[in-house]
Order: sequence, then structure tokens, then C-alpha cells
Amino acid sequence: MIVRLAFRLAQMLFVILAVVTIAFFVLRIAAGDPARLVNPPGTPEEIITQTRRRLGTDQPLLGQYVTFLGNLIRGDLGTTFRGSLPVRDAVLAALPNTLALAGLAVLAAAGIALVLGALAAWRPNGSLDRTVLGYSALAQATPAFWLGLVLVMFFSLELRWFPAIDMTGPRSFVLPVVTLAVTLSPILVRTVRQSFIETQGEDFFRAARARGLGEVRLFTVHALKMASLPVITLIGLQLGFLLAGAVVVEAIFNWPGIGKLILDALGSRDFPMIQGGVLVAAIAFVVLNFVVDLLYRLLDPRVRVGAS
Amino acid sequence: MSDALPAVEAAAPAPARRGRFTVRALARRRAAVIGSTGLVLIAGLAVFAPWVAPHDPAAQDLGNILAPPFWDSAGSWEHALGTDALGRDTASRLIHGARNSLMISFAAMLIGSLLGLAAGIVSGFFGGKVDTATMRLGEIQLAFPFILLAIAILGVIPGRTPLHLILVLGIPGWIVYARVVRSRVLAERERDHVRAAAALGARRSRQLFRYVLPSVWQVVPVIAMLDIGFLVIMESMLSFLGLGLPPRFPSWGAMLAEGRRNMVISPWLSILPGLAIMLTVLSVNLTADGLADVFDPKLRKGTFRRTVLRLPERAEPDTANDHGAATRRAAAPPQRSVEAGARHAPAASGSALLRVRDLKVEFPLPGRTIKAVRGVSFDLGRGETLGIVGESGSGKSVTALSIGQLLDSPGRVTGGQILFDGQDLTRISDRAMAALRGRRIAMIFQNPTASLSPVFSIGFQMREAIRRHGRLHREEASRIAHDSLWAVGIGDPDRVLGQYPFQLSGGMNQRVMIAMAMAARPDLLIADEPTTALDVTTQAQILERLRDLVQAEGTSLIFITHDIALVAEHADRVVVMYAGQICESGPTEQVISEPRHPYTRALLESVPRPDLPAGVRLEAIPGELPDPASIPDGCPFAPRCPHVMDVCRTVNPDQFPVAPDHRAACHLWSPDRTRAGTP
Repeated sequence: MIVRLAFRLAQMLFVILAVVTIAFFVLRIAAGDPARLVNPPGTPEEIITQTRRRLGTDQPLLGQYVTFLGNLIRGDLGTTFRGSLPVRDAVLAALPNTLALAGLAVLAAAGIALVLGALAAWRPNGSLDRTVLGYSALAQATPAFWLGLVLVMFFSLELRWFPAIDMTGPRSFVLPVVTLAVTLSPILVRTVRQSFIETQGEDFFRAARARGLGEVRLFTVHALKMASLPVITLIGLQLGFLLAGAVVVEAIFNWPGIGKLILDALGSRDFPMIQGGVLVAAIAFVVLNFVVDLLYRLLDPRVRVGAS
Repeated sequence: MSDALPAVEAAAPAPARRGRFTVRALARRRAAVIGSTGLVLIAGLAVFAPWVAPHDPAAQDLGNILAPPFWDSAGSWEHALGTDALGRDTASRLIHGARNSLMISFAAMLIGSLLGLAAGIVSGFFGGKVDTATMRLGEIQLAFPFILLAIAILGVIPGRTPLHLILVLGIPGWIVYARVVRSRVLAERERDHVRAAAALGARRSRQLFRYVLPSVWQVVPVIAMLDIGFLVIMESMLSFLGLGLPPRFPSWGAMLAEGRRNMVISPWLSILPGLAIMLTVLSVNLTADGLADVFDPKLRKGTFRRTVLRLPERAEPDTANDHGAATRRAAAPPQRSVEAGARHAPAASGSALLRVRDLKVEFPLPGRTIKAVRGVSFDLGRGETLGIVGESGSGKSVTALSIGQLLDSPGRVTGGQILFDGQDLTRISDRAMAALRGRRIAMIFQNPTASLSPVFSIGFQMREAIRRHGRLHREEASRIAHDSLWAVGIGDPDRVLGQYPFQLSGGMNQRVMIAMAMAARPDLLIADEPTTALDVTTQAQILERLRDLVQAEGTSLIFITHDIALVAEHADRVVVMYAGQICESGPTEQVISEPRHPYTRALLESVPRPDLPAGVRLEAIPGELPDPASIPDGCPFAPRCPHVMDVCRTVNPDQFPVAPDHRAACHLWSPDRTRAGTP
């Protein structure tokens, strides 16, 4: 168990390091000279050289990498190219906003999936089922950025119920969370539906009914637990999709999260900021992946007991 | 699984499946037709974009910016969908956007699928280290926030070209193809014909192309289609973020991003590209569904599960595991039945706990109706044990399930009465029935391990059931659970309570089921093939334990089995079923010693007996059960009966009395013929 855990931690560290390293070198090799980008065009060469020295980009590449890793271990992510702000502060300020958005969206998506999936499975091929499957097909074809815009046009510009952009309070969460949740939901809905239908055909479901359990308990305890397993697996598999969705939603709603931070930094070629953002996002991704695995083990005794 | 549903399916699988196919798949197929038509249209627009588009998508007309579409009062057909902020024609840009989006997605799909196909085939075919390495790589990639890197890379690369986009979108997809292809190759490799080819010395590469690729080819197009749908969305997303196609290529995502700036005055500029994406992805996904229907035969199989073989489950730890069917039967020699039957006198019919009267159960399927039970009547006295015996598909399990009102959809009771303690179970409310279940009518099933949920502990499930029958504290329920496990012969109840069904043997799980059933002290216990899945020693122990418990509690028992030898040993009365009807019923002792129906006789003759010398052939019953959807007039056993007469083929016999309390549904015992003597 301890060996497995150690192995897992090593793997997580490896992934994080690999992401950061790739990002580091791609930025340095592909992105052009930040010293020229920081200064206005036509700046004299001496000032550019000075800027390079200040940014540290005059050093050999490998030397820069070693310095970067050394600082990273001490928890220092450097300062931004432009405002000379500590990257760590900016990143740590943005992270909770993204986590709140993504977390609420996952919960909402799981909620949508459990409700719609159970309703659909109640009478397979009935009109309710077909409606739910239709929703799922439409939601799967809907790009998050478009849904976000349409929601803004209707609920913010037309009805003025929710703010169109910025994180300003509880109401400002509604549209971004709904946008992200709806785009996450279609596969979950179909999985829950399938799981509920399969469970109803299982011997143990009939045996539990024969034991006198009521329909409510059968569905809310027995079928629900069976359905929760594939949902958790899928959420784990969709983390990448969630990350991408979060970036888009943050761009649309001007949400002060990691995704927006990275996008803005990309625009200004702010290397330390991009690296910091990528690092934090990679850590969040890897940790969430781990949490999903733990949750699965916790919920499925076949995995938990089988392994120990 | 009891034999209820297999009985339905075994009836005639092909028409049943065809029925499903028309009703269900018609809707699916219509969706697939709509989807593929849409896809062909969109792909056509994409391919012929330069000729179809009314304008040059890049041509600016600053004198005519943000022109409204034709449905607006100010709109014109010159620019049917209006113009953007630079006066470019929206319709033309949408058409060229389709071209770019589909081309990028298709190319990315090709890269991902070719990589994955190669990796999957190599991995599946060579196995070993190659396989481990490939799958490990895939795992690492799945744990890798690829999209993050993609955004970072695309965001900083100067002079981004479509090729960059194709590579970044396409490469990560390999793992999906690789996994599916690998599993197909693995499955195919184990097939007989591939193995035979290997044994004959066919070269590996030839095997690969000859046998494995055709099977693999069935899955890849479906995944590829779904992949394209996903890639269209990803491409638009990157373009929307300004990380996708360079600005000189019209792209739906970029159009949306530009349109967003004029969201208030020209909302269609944002809405139209999104609709284009939706329609495209929807068409692609519907087509993928249709392809799955055509290609993947697995999806066409019905949901009916078929239990062809009933293998014994994990053996009890204390028993040897080599028990053939013959030894199993020999363990319960019929001659012991006489004393077994004599032990408890049959209950007087006046105090019947359960009266089943002319019960009829049907499974209406599209186009045909399966009559699983066709007019069954019997009584069960208090404390009495009734054995119901018959082959799979005889209707015995369906009868049992209808007593518990547990028939699987679409099965339903279409006639008759089930009087339990005076109330007709076919007419009471679901609530009232749920209150009876478990508490007064308990059931145990054939496959004990599958009858317990794999994700809850034994203790949880027992407490749950026990607390259902009375408002008890958790501790109280635990104590009852503990005691009832002890009562069924489990030596360490505390350990078992903390375990899960998959950690226990089939025999242990069946003990748990019996303990759960008996914990509520039910009036009636229905045991549907309770030991069929178990090995013979366990079977004997469990049946003995069950009999002791039932006798001690005075519980009435319906014991359903295909094994007439077990009935002989354990039941007071016996009902022999065939094709949904009772063919013979009476006190066990009498039916076993003087069987009157030819079918009962045949069943008894097929039981191996230790007193017969080795080498004596057992009589198998020739022929098969009739198709329950179209049972012919007359006696259902007539086609297999050695004593068949003309009347048997036209008239279904009544239950003729052959002795006190002993009836047989056979024309040989018709009052008109009894004088002719036994055959």
C-alpha cells in the first residue's frame, strides 16, 4: 500500500515536472525574445540588453532552467516581466476562483446527470427518456464558448438577471457554472441512465426488492451507488476537458482564474506568469486525478478490498 | 438469474430480437439518416466551398458593415446572412469555416487514428513488454494535462500554421484508438480460427491482416466519427481563444470571437457560427450512432441475458471441487424419498396459506406474446413444503416470481388469482405488496453471489433488510443479523458481516441469503433453484439447514428445482410443470413411486441411481420444449410423448384425478379411458 502510494506520488511529481519543463523550453525556444516584446519597438539595443539582464534571459538556456528549478523548490516562481509582481501571489490569488468555478460545475453536472439519468432510466424508450437523450445529444454538440455567449445575451443583456462578466458575488457564478456544467453533462447523463437501466436488471436489485425494500430506497441507495462509480471514473477522465472548458469560460466571463491568467500572460509573453499558471494548473490537475482515484477506491469495495 | 428471462428468450431468440430491432432501432435509424444526410450536406459545402460560397470570404466592403441577414427588415439577399464588422459576407465565411474546420478535424483524426491503430495492433499482437510499455505510456498521457500544454504551445509559437494545429489536436487522440484496437486484437487472437492458423504455422503478419484487421475495422470508424465531432469543437475552441487557425483562414471559433464584439447590435454574428458547430457535431454524432448500429454487432444483441451454462461457483473451502452432475444427483437417491415424504404429513387443504388459481403470465413482446404460465393452480398449507419441478422454460420460476410480484418487465399476470392468507396478490397495491415482501413472503434465488449487491457489505445489506421489518436500532439489527447467520451454520458471523459478497463463496452467500430471508420469520419462503449453482456437498448441507430452519419456524416453503431427486428428498408435495402448465401434482411419495404422467416418468428415469449397475443407460427425453409463443393445441408434451394418441394432438387434457389428492394432466387418465388400464 505504502509502495503504491509512493509510486503514485512519484508519478504525480514526474507529470508536474514534465509539464513545467516542456512549457519552459517551448517558451524559451519558440516564443521569441521577451526583452523586445516588453520594450516598445525602436528601443535602443543597450536598453534591450539591460532588459535581458534584468529578466535573466541573457543566461544560457540550461542555466536559466537550473535557476528556475532551484527557485521553484524554494517556492519562488519569480516576478512578472511587466509589473514585477511576484508570480506566486498572482497565481495563488487566481487558483481559488478557478477551483470554485470548476468544483461547482462538476457538482452541478453530476447533479444534472443523476437526476436526468434516473428519470430517463425510469421508462427506457419512453417520452421522458427520449427527451433526456435529446438533451444529451444537443449538449454534446454545444461548444462551451457559444453557450456562454448565448446565456449572456439572454440572461444578462436581455433579462438582466445575472451579471455578464466578472466575479462580483454569488449571482455572478450562475452563468459560468451553468455553461461549464451543461457542456460536461451529456456523457455523464448517458452513463447514469445506462447504469440505472443495467442495475434494474441485476439479480441483486430484484433480490433487494424481494427483501421488501421500497422503490425509493432501491433507487436512492442501491442504484445510485452503482451509478456513482462510472460517474466518478468519467469525471476523472474529463478533467482535461474540464480544464479546457474552464479556460474558455474564464475568457468569456472575464473570470479572474488561472485560465484567464495564462491567456493574458500568453498575450504579453510574460514567461514567469505563463510558467506559474501552467505549474499550478498541472498540480491541480494531477491532485484532482488522485482525489478521483481515492474516491473511487472509497466507494467501490471491489477495488478497495481486492487491492489490500 | 433464475430461468424466467432466458425462458422468454430461449423461446425463439431471433424473432424476439428482430422485434426489438424494429421498434427501438427505427427511431435510432431515423436519427442516423438525418445525421448522415446533414453530414453529407455540410461536407459537400466544405469540399466545394470555393464554388458554392457566394462571395470571397476575405473580400471586405467597409461601406456595408454589419449588414443584417435576410429575415431582418433591413436585410437583403445579396448578403443572405449579413456581413461582419469588415463587411465580409457571413454566409461565405461560414461555408469556408466548414471547409477549414472539417479539414483540420479530419486530418487530426487521421493522425491520431493511424498512430493509435499501429500502437494498438502492435501492443495487442506482440503482448508482453511491448504491450506494457505502450499501455503505460497511454496511462501517463491520460494523467497529463495535455490541453494546458497545447494552449501554452499554440499561444507562443510564432507564425502558427494549420499544421501545428493538426498535430496538437491529433496526436493526443492515439490512446483512445490504441486501447480499443488492442482489446479487439486480444479478443480476436484467442478465437479458434486464428489459433488454428497459428498452429498450422501461418505467418504472423498474414494472420494479422487476414483475421484480425477485419474485426478491428468494425470499431475504428465509429470512434473516428465521434473523434471528429470532438475535434470540431476543440478546433473552434482554440480558434475562439485566438490560438487556432491564423486569421487569414475563416474559422467558426474565430468568427464567434469577432462577432462577440458586436454582440448587442449584431447578435447573429455570434449565434450563426455556434449553430454551424452544433449542427455539424450533431450530424457527426448521429452518424456515429448509426455506424455503431451497423458495425458493432454487440450493440444489436438484446438486453436479454442468456444463461446457457450454469457453472458451479467457487467451491466451499472444505469440499473437494470435482463433482459431476451425475454424482450430484446420486447424492439424493430417490428411494430415500419415501421416508422423507412420510416424515411430515401433508397439511390439510383447509388451512392453505397460499392458493394459486388458474394463474396466467404473459410476456408481450413486439409482434408476439410469450405465454410463460398457462393456467396453474395449486395450494400450499402452513408449514408445508411444496416442490415445483420442471425444465428451464417450464414456467416454474415465472410462477414463483409472480407470487412475489417480481416479474421483469414486460411480464405480467394476465389471469387467475394468487390468494395469500386470503388476499389476492394480483390485485393489491404496490405499497401493500412491498410491505409483504421480505416480511411475510421471502425469496431466495439461484445465484446467491449476484443476489447481493457488490458494493455494500453483508452487514449493511442484512441490517437494511432487518430494519425494514421493524423499527429497530442499528445495534439491535446487528444482533439479529449475527444470530441469523449463526443459525444458518456460519461459525464467525462478525467476520462475515464485515465482508463483501465477492469475498465469500457461493455457498456462504446462499447461507447469508437464507439468514436474511429467515430473519424476518416469514410465513412463506420461496426458494428458486437455491443450490443449482453450488457444488454437491454444499448443496446437501445448505438444503439440510434450510429444512431444519423451515421446520423449526413452521414456515411454508416453495422449493423450485429442475432436479426431481431433490424434490423427492425435501418436499411434502410436488408439482411437475411443463410448458407453463402443471402435468402432475400430488404427495411426493406417491408421485415418485407411482408417476402417472409420461413426463414425470421420463424425468424420474433420467435420474442416475447408485443401485443401478454401471453402464446402464439413462433415458434422455427426446425432443425439446415447445415454443412458448406458439404452443400448439393439444397436450404440450405430445410431440415428445412415447404414448401419444390422436386426441393428445388436438385437446389439451384436464387435470384428471388418478388417486386421492393426486392428479395428472394426461389423456391416459381421462375418465373415458381409465378402465383401459395403465399403459
